[in-house]
Amino acid sequence: PPANAGPAPDGGWGWVVVFGAFISIGFAYAFPKGIAIFFKEIQDFFGTSYGEIAWVSSIMLATTYGAGPISSILVNRYGSRPVVIFGGLLCGIGMVSASFCTSILQLYICVGFITGFGLALNLQPSVIIIGKYFLKRRPIANGLAMAGSPVMLCTLAPLNQFLFDNFGWRGSFLILGAILLNCCVAGALFRPIGAPTASVKTQATEEGKDALKEEVTKDAVEMGSPTSVPMETKMEEEGGEDCCEKINQYLDFSLFKHRGFLIYLIGNVLMFLGFFAPIVFLAPYAKHIGIDEYSAAFLLSILAIVDMIARPTTGIIANSKWVRPRIQYFFSFAIAFNGTCHLLCPLASGYTGLVVYSVFFGLAFGMVCAMLFETLMDLVGAVRFTSAVGLVTIAECCTILLGPPIGGTLIDTFGDYKYMFIKCGAVMVLAGTFLFIMNYYNYRMLAKEEKERKAKEEDPKSVRTENEGKNNWNKETAQDGPELEPLRAEQEGLKKEMNGT
Amino acid sequence: MTTTQTVNWQTQGSPSEHLTVGRNVFTPGPDLTTQEFKQATKENVSNVTFVEYEVLLPGASSTSVEKNITLDSAARIELTCRLDNKYSHLKNLQVTWKRGNETIGHSSKTGNSWSIQLKILDNSNLGSYSCTLKGEEEISAMFHLQVPKIEGKEKPIVSYEGDTAVMVCKSFGHTPIAWTWYRTNGSEQVAINDSLLADKYVINSVSANVTHLKILKLTREDDGVYWCEAAFELGKSKGSLKLKVLSFMVPLKPFLAIVAEVVILVTIVFLYEMYSKKKEKRAEGERECDQVEQLKSEESNGLENSSARHRKI
Repeated sequence: PPANAGPAPDGGWGWVVVFGAFISIGFAYAFPKGIAIFFKEIQDFFGTSYGEIAWVSSIMLATTYGAGPISSILVNRYGSRPVVIFGGLLCGIGMVSASFCTSILQLYICVGFITGFGLALNLQPSVIIIGKYFLKRRPIANGLAMAGSPVMLCTLAPLNQFLFDNFGWRGSFLILGAILLNCCVAGALFRPIGAPTASVKTQATEEGKDALKEEVTKDAVEMGSPTSVPMETKMEEEGGEDCCEKINQYLDFSLFKHRGFLIYLIGNVLMFLGFFAPIVFLAPYAKHIGIDEYSAAFLLSILAIVDMIARPTTGIIANSKWVRPRIQYFFSFAIAFNGTCHLLCPLASGYTGLVVYSVFFGLAFGMVCAMLFETLMDLVGAVRFTSAVGLVTIAECCTILLGPPIGGTLIDTFGDYKYMFIKCGAVMVLAGTFLFIMNYYNYRMLAKEEKERKAKEEDPKSVRTENEGKNNWNKETAQDGPELEPLRAEQEGLKKEMNGT
Repeated sequence: MTTTQTVNWQTQGSPSEHLTVGRNVFTPGPDLTTQEFKQATKENVSNVTFVEYEVLLPGASSTSVEKNITLDSAARIELTCRLDNKYSHLKNLQVTWKRGNETIGHSSKTGNSWSIQLKILDNSNLGSYSCTLKGEEEISAMFHLQVPKIEGKEKPIVSYEGDTAVMVCKSFGHTPIAWTWYRTNGSEQVAINDSLLADKYVINSVSANVTHLKILKLTREDDGVYWCEAAFELGKSKGSLKLKVLSFMVPLKPFLAIVAEVVILVTIVFLYEMYSKKKEKRAEGERECDQVEQLKSEESNGLENSSARHRKI
């Protein structure tokens, strides 16, 4: 079957792409945490307080998530590969210029904004291209790619320490800039597939632009579809006749009318309020109850190792035929499980208790992360996922940044860590339950709509099928994601994926 | 005033008048080497702190018990050696207090603990004091009276030529009177005078417990060991820090190596892609020849086939 308009390859070069995404996603998530090792030295060097230094990390994190929509727009326009390569270059430039910084403000800009923006241009396209290369084995691919984050963190932490001991913070930033350039290698592996502008351009270079337009127009006329096809090529060149449609071409705001997307958005925004705070405060909590520094750091290593194993395993489980159709329930369960761990943490006494908590937390954390993007893809479909992921990340940006400070305020006010754990646990259990109930409702609505559509199944429908096959490329005429999937995936017999229970 | 008495007590005679009756705190047998550390501070009229330190003597085992006591300013201290309950049957025990090898007093009592009071006024009063119990065997414990230790950094601070280096020294718990910085010149230590070389060295203290030495415009000669010395009422204490000055070429080499690796990998990926695309085109070209022949024989389905072909490309 043809690689462009047909079904996803689900293998072959796809696994190379997963490897590239592994590296890219790993850097994007692990790098902001990894440079915390340099903060003490930089703080002494510039004579600033810890709070001012911590801003570097916050700005980086905020930019990585906040620049999501820009990333989506660029991927919609140019495809994943150029965006990731450009992102890698930006990261490298950011860190290299950071090594020459003479003030903390310059550090904010170089490390915070520039590198953060580069990482944003790495993260989104990597996740998007997995959706383009995989369909049947997508959960496994997602699980494997997201495993990049703990692996990179475990590698970056000792590496950063080594670099710091040998080269000081300036030399380390210089070398880290070079290491980040490896994201360009990852990007080079992202061969374009089924991307609209990319394939149109390659066709144009092969057969000549005008000739192609004629033939495509001719096909459209022969197929009986009125004006959609010539319109789509015209739109891509002239910028569309309607303002809304033009914006929608770059960033699909019509997603806000999509039921599944809204459910996901609300649930996730709620979840992120309690997601990262426990990790930030795990080591301080351990030290608070009397555990020494090295054992406290070891807790985080346990978490990372369990996380590493949990993500691909969750991917495999989520791909099995029992779970895949009900993957949203699995996701809600993982979130609620995560919340329960936090609620039970204050009961853990002593080091053994905390080790057990770390193991379960690592497991739950890995499960949620592995399915984070998979469930979104499942809800909106690979085509609209590009815009969806951008919109979701900018919404999550606020709660991600708010989570740890709120936790810190609770700890400072009550002088006890347990309220922070209770708050995180409660928020996540609430988010999990909300997602569970709303997705149950969503699955039933989808099943109903599917039945209604099947009832109307006739000839005009099969003609529409062929048109939609071509209109695949144009998101303006695309139907809701889940409805597209059965049509495209019919050949692979995956109808039940969308029907749910 | 009792204070004068304690100072001169070694010349006076038996110190039994200064013995305090010990409290009877019993610890179980196996726990012989644990030390009980009780600290009570009282301020008396002479405005000098009075601190009590107590040590539990071990049994017949040869491991001696030692206690480190940190003092930053003048104080009166009382050192107590207590014997474990299981030896309470022993009577007429003699305890000798020594400083180094010099005996400073004897004491004997039938209770379980022996004390000695010391007034620490200056550096000469610091040192190691021991109480030795002579009975069937000799049991002893040591008290080390010292000034607070200053922590420098074990790992060297790495900086670059032309750059600035900041070295930090901290004192934990005790506040020094003054800080001095030294750099090692050959085998001797030279004090750093920041008013003399104001464009090279800047010393400032963020707080009384912390001192910063900033060295500007680093050169290769600035490489070496630096000492920060804290002056306390009872003496001085030093911490060491190592500074390494590198030229910018040092990190540049790994940087260029990694950049070269990235460029090579990207080129390989793109070349492989072009190569595999050419292979695909050749294979497609052959397929197309076959299909054109097929097409000529299947005119009726021409429409769909041609559109399928276009889509395939």
